[in-house]
Amino acid sequence: MIRQLLRYPSARAALVILAIVAILAVFGPFIAPHDPLAQDGSALLQPPGTRYWLGTDALGRDVFSRLLAGSTVSVLASLLSVSIGLVLGVVPGLLSVFLGRRFEWINLRVIDALMMLPFLVFAIAMTAMLGNGLVQAMFAVGILITPAFFRVTRAAALSIANAEYIEAARLMGASTSAILRRHVVAKVLPPVAVAAASMTGACLSIVASLTFLGIGVVPPDPTWGGLLATDLANLYDRPFGPVAPALLIVATVWALNALADALRDSGRKETAA
Amino acid sequence: MTTISEPAPPQAAPIVTGRTIRLRHGKALLRHVGGTLGITLPVFFIATLITFLLGVVSGLDPAAGIAGDAASPETVARIRADLGLDQPVVFQYLHWIGGVLRGDLGTSWFNGVPASELILQRLPISLSIAGVALLVGVVFGLGLGLVAGVRHGGRLDRAITLFAALVSSLPPFVVAFVLILIFSLWLGWLPSSGYVPFADDPIGWLAAVSIPAVALSVDVVADLARQLRTGLVVALSENYVTGAVVRGLSRRRILFVHVLRNASGPALTVLALKVPMLIGGAVVTEAIFNMPGMGKLAADSALRGDVPVVQGTLVVSILLILACNMCVNVLLGVLQPAARRRS
Amino acid sequence: MTQAHSGLPADNVVTLGIRHRRPEPPAEPLLSVRNLHVVTAQGRELVRDVSFELAAGGTLGIVGESGSGKSLTCRAILDVLPPGLNVASGSIRFGDVDLSRLDAASWKDLRGKALSAVFQDPGSYLNPSIPVGRQLVEAIRATLRLGRTAARDRALELLRQVGFEDADAVYRQYPFELSGGMAQRVLIAIAICAGPRLLIADEATTALDVTVQAEVLDLIDRLRREQALTLILVSHDLAVVSQICEHVIVMRDGAIVDAGPTRSVLGNPQSAYTRSLIEDHAVHTIDSARPASVSGKRTPLLAVKGLHAGYGIRTVIEDVDLELAPGEILGLIGETGSGKTTLLRTILGLIPTASGTIELDGARIDGLKAGPLRELRRSGTLQYVFQDPLRSLDPDLTIAASVTEGLHLRGETDGASIAQALGEALQAVGLDAALASRLPRHLSGGQRQRAVIARALALAPRVLLLDEPVSALDAVNRLHVLKLLRGLAQEKGIAQVFISHDLGSVAGIADRVAVLYRGRIVETGPADQVLASPSHPYTRRLLAAAPRLSAQRSEAPAVFTAH
Repeated sequence: MIRQLLRYPSARAALVILAIVAILAVFGPFIAPHDPLAQDGSALLQPPGTRYWLGTDALGRDVFSRLLAGSTVSVLASLLSVSIGLVLGVVPGLLSVFLGRRFEWINLRVIDALMMLPFLVFAIAMTAMLGNGLVQAMFAVGILITPAFFRVTRAAALSIANAEYIEAARLMGASTSAILRRHVVAKVLPPVAVAAASMTGACLSIVASLTFLGIGVVPPDPTWGGLLATDLANLYDRPFGPVAPALLIVATVWALNALADALRDSGRKETAA
Repeated sequence: MTTISEPAPPQAAPIVTGRTIRLRHGKALLRHVGGTLGITLPVFFIATLITFLLGVVSGLDPAAGIAGDAASPETVARIRADLGLDQPVVFQYLHWIGGVLRGDLGTSWFNGVPASELILQRLPISLSIAGVALLVGVVFGLGLGLVAGVRHGGRLDRAITLFAALVSSLPPFVVAFVLILIFSLWLGWLPSSGYVPFADDPIGWLAAVSIPAVALSVDVVADLARQLRTGLVVALSENYVTGAVVRGLSRRRILFVHVLRNASGPALTVLALKVPMLIGGAVVTEAIFNMPGMGKLAADSALRGDVPVVQGTLVVSILLILACNMCVNVLLGVLQPAARRRS
Repeated sequence: MTQAHSGLPADNVVTLGIRHRRPEPPAEPLLSVRNLHVVTAQGRELVRDVSFELAAGGTLGIVGESGSGKSLTCRAILDVLPPGLNVASGSIRFGDVDLSRLDAASWKDLRGKALSAVFQDPGSYLNPSIPVGRQLVEAIRATLRLGRTAARDRALELLRQVGFEDADAVYRQYPFELSGGMAQRVLIAIAICAGPRLLIADEATTALDVTVQAEVLDLIDRLRREQALTLILVSHDLAVVSQICEHVIVMRDGAIVDAGPTRSVLGNPQSAYTRSLIEDHAVHTIDSARPASVSGKRTPLLAVKGLHAGYGIRTVIEDVDLELAPGEILGLIGETGSGKTTLLRTILGLIPTASGTIELDGARIDGLKAGPLRELRRSGTLQYVFQDPLRSLDPDLTIAASVTEGLHLRGETDGASIAQALGEALQAVGLDAALASRLPRHLSGGQRQRAVIARALALAPRVLLLDEPVSALDAVNRLHVLKLLRGLAQEKGIAQVFISHDLGSVAGIADRVAVLYRGRIVETGPADQVLASPSHPYTRRLLAAAPRLSAQRSEAPAVFTAH
């Protein structure tokens, strides 16, 4: 599987980027050259230089250190959101196919309803009204992305639910749980993995949007989205300020999408063989 | 051993005329519209229930705020009873949704203004951005998708696919930055903030709206182009295309009359799913461009715990989204009666 | 041109249409294909050096199995080869036009007007979202430049001409509302709307029911005569071709292996392959020494009495009585929609019975629910074999895992006894034990179907319900599987209900035959008796519609095709 994946140049590039992001997320706060919260009154809004590699913000804080320190929170938040979405989406998605019509109908309508919610507005409302914190934001995003996982799981399960080998198993006396274990779960996982990769990218961008609006993270703590927000406020003074955090977000999201595409393609090749 | 029973009358089918068929198709279409409605209504109630529960779970209590800090517990309890907050949640929801259906979204806890009034003031701004974004997204998304699908495998296709992949990994606010940098800071053509009502100055309106709308539409363009391309590639390999070629139909006719109609399914479905993103995404662009739209109202109200206003904005958004979705669904049923039958 | 194929002499160029007793000099051929090669992008040759000529008014049949290049030859003539395939060399002349170097504009003047075609799976050749009448009008207006109302009138007239009495109803219907036979009629109407000179029918009746197939073939033949059409009829079934065409080409692996007037090819086949095709149409009586007592009175193992069943309010099975003795094979025949599969599924408890009883070994099994039903299924007494072995095996499980699945479900955990049961089951179906560790996609079609039968045998069944078990197999594998089933009945006394639309297979294997028509059993009796002298009109119609080799018609009256 991994070897097949590495045949795609885009997948190799994606893995390199993700490895760098992972290192940033784990060690970022420790390798930051300055204290991300320390304000240097003598160096406000500095352009990139030798002392402050990426310059300083309006309060004289080192942008590079803030970027590193913000990595952990940004990455962790999107990973946790995806985990919540996975659990809440995959299980009902599987069961909706195999557990009778009434269960299916209710599930479908709830998922429809979640999809019909204006995404960011709802995430903001939920986070803010539940006490504006990172955990609340993660739950809000996690719940709102469940439809993506539900739909992927359900589509994969539906495509095999009427397969003759499932009927054959049932005719040999298999229970629904035995059928799920033996025949279904393994076939549903690959598309779910693809969805998870691309949703991690989406979550990163959503979490960035939220923190950009000051939702989910209290202001002095640095995050990628928060950095973008402060940089935008000073766009006239430091027109290239947003470039570094924006590039970091875009590169990570692109890497996750590329990985998802490569996963999907290699999966397709395998079944075609 | 050989047994014989009476033969069934051969071809005992009832007489079918063109009229019966037309009637049958009309009924099928009505059923489809009815079915769409039958799904939309429960979804509306579930979505509004979630919205309502948000207020309940938040634990914010208007009674304490109204009564003031010095009020006795009895006063607070009386105010709670007046507001109906001592009743079970289900009754509270029914009471609230009843009001919503009559157009009463409650009043702001913050300044006592009816929520509907606040929302109506700001709705045009959000609708302008989302509407223009939708238009731009549909025009460019379908255009690029059409070109990529028809030329699939070619250089143009690869360029469009790459563009879509790159662009869809950009958060909308990053696109907004780039556009501001180029069009406001360097070229100075367009304003980077503020809103001008259409009625006051149509050109100024367009100038104010264009950057946020384009920033918001980028994602729609990319997704629509990809979906339409996939749909076209699939549809172009269908047997009926070969059949049409053999029948001597022109390439253009095959593409626009036969293929496009059947290829547009996934793109239209995605378009319907993008509407919530557009309306939700307006929050960010409104914040960036400092426009007093509905999204900003929702965000501000949420941060200060103004539950009725937040719920009001959500309900209005949900209504808009559901209406768009219903239209797309009905359109799909009209375009593709076979697909309608399968679902 | 590969060396291996140089064995073909130049006489694979068939000059057709020169009828016997026709004194005038041979006319200019309408279609002339010379040294046609079709290759993939990787350079693999799918059609090799195919040449033939067809005179105006002639009828040519092209026979071969899938992958023999017969359809690609037709598609090359129409210039609609699948993407990636190209004509590498050779010429295709239609009248005095060289089709192989024609620009798009000139093609527009030919297709639909002078050249037209109908294909297999007719429904898919119509746009699913547009009523068929409008598609017919569109074709008429594209070729004939008629006004709206004139085109509409012409369309209705054409629909009547291809046999629709309710033409204006069909006019408004969507393709998904038509049966396969109806869709093919519509396509034929579209194909002949501009009065073409050449009609190519590529597997046009494949997968249709035999009676429908006979009707569509009749229609094509009638239109051919009325409109002086030149016809190319492509089929995998030699019998279908032999009924209509004066000349026939047999293709295999992309090349012509036999060609000539139909009568001489059938009577004096030049290649072993053609002989095997002809041989296919013989009835293989699997075992002539069938125990005679089988048809006598014995306690039935499976007994169905007065069974009614269906989906929702629609009754599919009406008042069906069936009895099956140990070791007996009952052939169940009938066309699509006659309720064959529904009957088996009802017996299996997948569809609830509306009324009537089903007894297995004297015990009622209808109306069982949850626990008792699972108990019955785990006992393995009653087993089901599907039509398509590839789809009835989990692609991610090895053959061993699939075959032993029922044992695991039963709760058996003893590895040694499971391995032994696996070995015995594989041996019983004649499958190499080494294949047990393979995945289904690495097995051939015949091996897969054996694996599916082994899965049933591992549970020691007493009744096997077989739904078209040999339809997806080629002639050789079909014979092997039929022999295997016959052996199971005789040696292990496993009773079987055998569904097939292929009368040849049924005649070969079944002790008794039941004919199902619109959910009722209209005739049952000993196989040889029912098939030789059917008493019910429907059975007679079914038997008459089965295509047979025309050259042999007089000699062997009871020869059925094996599809």
